[in-house]
Amino acid sequence: MARIELNVDLNRVEGDLAVKVVLEDGVVREAHTAGTMYRGFEQILVGRTPRDAMVITPRVCGICGTAHLYAAVLALEQAWGTPVPPNATRIRNLCLIAEGLQNDLRQTFLFFAADLCHARYAGHPLHAAVLAAFEPFKGTIYRESLAITRRVLEIVAHFGGQWPHSSYMLPGGVVTAPDTRRLIACRAILDEFQRWYETQVIGAPLHDWLALDTAERYLEWTERPGPATAALGLITRFMRSQGLHRLGVGTPHMISFGAWCDPERWGPPYDAHLLRSGFYDGDSRQVLPLQQEHIREHVRHSWFKPYPGGRHPFDGETVPDYQPGTDRYSWAKAPRYEGRVVQTGPLAELLIGGDALVRDLHDREGGGAWLRQFARVRRVGYELLHARRMLDELGTHLKAPHFEPPAPGTETDGQGCGLVMAARGALGHWVQLKDGLVQRYQIITPTAWNASPRDSDGRPGHWESSLVGLAVQDPNDPVEIGLAIRSHDPCLVCTVHFVEGAQGTTPAGATPPRPFRIGA
Amino acid sequence: MHGRRLALLCLGNDLHGDDGFGPAVGRRLAAQGLPEPWQLVQAGTRGMEALAALQGCDAAIVVDAAAPAGQPGCLRHWRPEEIALESAAADHGMGLGWVLRALQSVHAAAATQAPRLRILTAEMSELSAFRLGLSVPVQAAVPGAMAQLQRWMQEMQDEPAAC
Repeated sequence: MARIELNVDLNRVEGDLAVKVVLEDGVVREAHTAGTMYRGFEQILVGRTPRDAMVITPRVCGICGTAHLYAAVLALEQAWGTPVPPNATRIRNLCLIAEGLQNDLRQTFLFFAADLCHARYAGHPLHAAVLAAFEPFKGTIYRESLAITRRVLEIVAHFGGQWPHSSYMLPGGVVTAPDTRRLIACRAILDEFQRWYETQVIGAPLHDWLALDTAERYLEWTERPGPATAALGLITRFMRSQGLHRLGVGTPHMISFGAWCDPERWGPPYDAHLLRSGFYDGDSRQVLPLQQEHIREHVRHSWFKPYPGGRHPFDGETVPDYQPGTDRYSWAKAPRYEGRVVQTGPLAELLIGGDALVRDLHDREGGGAWLRQFARVRRVGYELLHARRMLDELGTHLKAPHFEPPAPGTETDGQGCGLVMAARGALGHWVQLKDGLVQRYQIITPTAWNASPRDSDGRPGHWESSLVGLAVQDPNDPVEIGLAIRSHDPCLVCTVHFVEGAQGTTPAGATPPRPFRIGA
Repeated sequence: MHGRRLALLCLGNDLHGDDGFGPAVGRRLAAQGLPEPWQLVQAGTRGMEALAALQGCDAAIVVDAAAPAGQPGCLRHWRPEEIALESAAADHGMGLGWVLRALQSVHAAAATQAPRLRILTAEMSELSAFRLGLSVPVQAAVPGAMAQLQRWMQEMQDEPAAC
């Protein structure tokens, strides 16, 4: 057999997201984030029978398929006015939470914390402890996260048969009834998960941790023996000592579609959530009621058939129009809320949802890479609490229906939207039906909000603005950019292309831009 | 023999030309059937799920495509330690190098025996994103790979289980 000298390259799929930055004297002056792949699910759905969305849209994402399924089913239920039995909403919530737990821990401990093990930090007093916990393949937390995140997905398998890309929700409910065997199995998984979270991640009982309500108390608490050496305490102490809580702030405005439909109150006008939805106005610092009518998508800098200004998803279109060599640079559109650039994710979810601690930390020092990451780990606490609540309620309503088919004659033409909080933030599906078929389907993902390109007015997206001003110590190894981008839980493989020096001042014959991968 | 778990994993992406070697071999194997108790897993590009499928196996075979290096279609048998860790952490699309290290890691943490592994690759002609179908040399490597895998499944099945 012949020999091959090169390594087997299994990250062969090109990055589907590129971040291009311009450095001046080691500081980021300008950033462009580009989605480098056309998604096209919107176009796939046009002309299909509405329920096809239950099978097709969970395939938008390999991580948050349950969130897409949930958004798709809510959109159809809104269009048809289909009531949903509370048990169906409980099962949907439970599975969405399981998917969220999986994502939040993998993102934090397999992807994000690995950057904290960088050799640059070797002199830090916490370096040894950080390595012992988070070093890839060796750290205790790294290893345990591999096992526990696999286990928690079994909850989705109990009700959905498989994960990912499951199709167990449909208008009017879910396909599997709750039974005692499933509830016991799910409870065992959550018990195991909660024990691990309490001992290894926060170093305290869940209720004590969720009761913390001020920045002062939290920072004092983080110095205590248990919490100080647990995984989150380590991340907090390390990152804050490095000033990483001031890294990558971005837009002050946030959006949350509300976490988990309230099983007993779900129905028109579709705004009853266990953690409220809303828009956080970063200027007035007020949370205002969410009005999805205020959402517009711009394509001025995207590779879609041009239209002026922004369009609401019910008027939107996703017609690809690749125009290389122009000032268009992304396959992502630029969503805006009331014309404003917003960010979404666990920080938005908890701040808008009313978590006093996150709100206080944000009021005092603004957002940044640390707070976003902190909020993701804190959300796990809420996820556990509400998952248990769903299980308890299922247990006391065991005989209640999990599915009620739409009444005859209600599957009419019309329109609806399904808004959920996916692991990475606000996810929306908008559907219009005509002659019994999908006439229009529009999807706005959380990463579309966060990683959006410039809009019609030339305003940069959230990531783009969060990178500007960042000081990069070593352009050959831009750890800072990696941390800033990773704190947003990018759903895409990230590639950074560097352009050194201000544009137009690069001397002739200078090194051309070179590709650079975050995490290399 | 009862209770042993033996898995044959095919990795790769059909949408990217020769990267579809693993899935193509998997389809051929599925059509002709695997000897008991071997199980076929078409893992695509999902590293985390490949890890889950390998965990707890007594023995496993991985089929994948290798980077172009001047001899397209060339089959190669790799030992796990020869597979380099990918230069970039690809987040959710963890590659085989990551999977193999993670597999060692989880078995070490649980003080259990990692599966015996053999890895077979065919060298790609070129990296071609979004092109359906294998190149001629890689397509020609499929029958040889099938024969090799049949031999391996027999041999590994006959090996004594690690204890």
